[in-house]
Amino acid sequence: MSTDNIHKTVAEASSLISWDTWDRIKHTESFVLLSSVLFVLLFSYAFGRAPVVSDVFQGYHGLAITILIWSIFALGFNLLLGQTGLLSFGHAMFFGTASYAAALFAIHVYNDPLAVIVVGTLAAVALGAVAALILLRLHTVYFSIVALAIGQFLYFLAREPLVEITKGINGLEVPRSDVLGVFELEHQYGGLLGELVVNNLYLFVGVFFVAVVASITRIRKSPYGLIFKAIRENETRTAFVGLDVWRYKFAAFLLSAAIVGLAGGLMAVNTQFAGVERLYWSVSGDVVVMTVLGGLGTLAGPVIGTFVFFYFKGIVNGFPTLGNYWLLLLSLSFTTVVWVYRDGIWGMITALTGALRDPRELVAAITARVTGGDSTGDAPGGED
Amino acid sequence: MNVDGVVGFLFIALSVASLYLLVAVGLSIVFGSLKYVNMAHGVLYLSGAYIGLLIASSEQYGGLLSDFGQVGLDWGFVPALVLTPVVIFVVGVAMERWIAKPFYERELLDQLLVTFGILIAAQELVAILFGRTGTIYPRPEWLTGAISLPVIGTPPGMSAASTIRVLVVALTLLLVAGIFAFFKYTDYGLAVRAGTEDSEMTQMLGIRIGRPFLLIFAVGAAYAGLAGVLGGSLFNVTSEIGMEIIIPSLVIVIMGGVGSLRGTVVGALLAGLTFAVATELEPSMTQASIYLLAIVVLTIRPSGIFPSAEIGQ
Repeated sequence: MSTDNIHKTVAEASSLISWDTWDRIKHTESFVLLSSVLFVLLFSYAFGRAPVVSDVFQGYHGLAITILIWSIFALGFNLLLGQTGLLSFGHAMFFGTASYAAALFAIHVYNDPLAVIVVGTLAAVALGAVAALILLRLHTVYFSIVALAIGQFLYFLAREPLVEITKGINGLEVPRSDVLGVFELEHQYGGLLGELVVNNLYLFVGVFFVAVVASITRIRKSPYGLIFKAIRENETRTAFVGLDVWRYKFAAFLLSAAIVGLAGGLMAVNTQFAGVERLYWSVSGDVVVMTVLGGLGTLAGPVIGTFVFFYFKGIVNGFPTLGNYWLLLLSLSFTTVVWVYRDGIWGMITALTGALRDPRELVAAITARVTGGDSTGDAPGGED
Repeated sequence: MNVDGVVGFLFIALSVASLYLLVAVGLSIVFGSLKYVNMAHGVLYLSGAYIGLLIASSEQYGGLLSDFGQVGLDWGFVPALVLTPVVIFVVGVAMERWIAKPFYERELLDQLLVTFGILIAAQELVAILFGRTGTIYPRPEWLTGAISLPVIGTPPGMSAASTIRVLVVALTLLLVAGIFAFFKYTDYGLAVRAGTEDSEMTQMLGIRIGRPFLLIFAVGAAYAGLAGVLGGSLFNVTSEIGMEIIIPSLVIVIMGGVGSLRGTVVGALLAGLTFAVATELEPSMTQASIYLLAIVVLTIRPSGIFPSAEIGQ
């Protein structure tokens, strides 16, 4: 019996361990959910405390929480850009406004982290509804720049005229309180759980992270999400099919605002602070850099991009000599990605794993790229 | 307000409008004719400010600038005003060839993202080279005072408008008039207009549009460089000024109507006036007011004040 035949029989007999099966599993919702749960459970440990791995990363628990929250932000931003093709340069407005709303609610009304975050999210949605009325009549660059203008308007508004409410550049302090009066956010766990998640704050953020990943997957897999994609591909044609384009754009915008608002609320709870710098254009710029660097229109992309960004900002920044150049390196990588490799880091990873599976595919892909083939980064992935 | 007050106020408005206009003109023409949105235009303003500072510098600063000895700031400002646009013109040529050209056929969003990346990188480079704290342009002696404008009948010795502001406004008037004249009276301007209208047909007629486009791109760049020198002497110079000027400038271009020079001028004037009025009435609203104006204008007219005008109008 030649080896060829053996291969054939093996492939036929056990489709359980074939690549096709893996591809099928990879795209199921439950797999994405499971991998996001695993990611949350292992991330902080691997980043900050695991033997060997953490020595490479030199990370710490607090930064892991920040990365999770910003990942939610990037996922929310990506829902708009990756799905509907609307590039907003003003998403800081939702992040900052939600932060303020959360802080104000905690100070003046009722301080429970859950309620606070809900209020932050609702504030972002309300702002989103108003902003959408102005923005959704505009296209491409107009949309981006006017979104930036609205963001800057709110920043300067919060900075000086509203100083009574926002405390200007000093910001607002949010006192710590227990979730539902039971769970202490600062509570340290012992044993295995303590090793993995350290404290309730991380768990709290992690639960929201998983929920956001789950809902975005649900949207992407649904016919509704398909319409978002249709709008990105060709808005006129989508309208001709008889769909109310504006309504879907509005929905996408509000969903995106809500997720970013959630991140803003979480940030207020995490840092016990809400300040004006969260409304600044650089926040919008950072999230654009993260999302595009990681991989546009994918699930894993924004998370990886966020990780890389904060790895540079939080860890590389502290290196001798190299530390001074962290943002320069990052912005140059970002520019390169936009220029030559639109699929970002996640696209590179999937291309590599694909190459390991079948080198011929890689050659074909490279040839296509060189001869000017057009590819949209749309590899749905789990966080593995 | 007496006459003096009004004149001073007007010149504050006009000088702010002039700075925005010098930056926005290049943006507007390139956006209108080449359909290229260039955030890296902010790099030109930023480099203009720093190159001008290097040329005119005589003070001791930290970083690279301290190596520049006595150039004599007193009249060193004049060579800075003349030389900086020349240097930035060359930078503009390089930018058109190597950064803008590969992107003419690509999506607007790609252009926006890539030029944004370049702007951030340049900003970081400046911060690394010259330090992260801003420097102040020491204003030359002959520009510190105020000028009396006999035209409006202010008696000599009375301050009406600060000299630097008068200079900024006068220069801008000349330069923008030059751009209008370029489009109206020169063959190159005609070629740009034709190329904007229908580039394929223009090329079929045997007109090479590459060079006129390159020229207009570089001229716009030189204007932004000059704005950098002037703006540097009015405000502080930090590594972030490129981004700080490009946001309102882009907003002004879009507010005026893309590709409409008239619209850009009107937009810049409106922004300058808003700025001055807000400073007068409610200083805390100064920065926010320009964006509020843009939001209001674009809510009423989503395609700007003068939509779809022919380029150069």
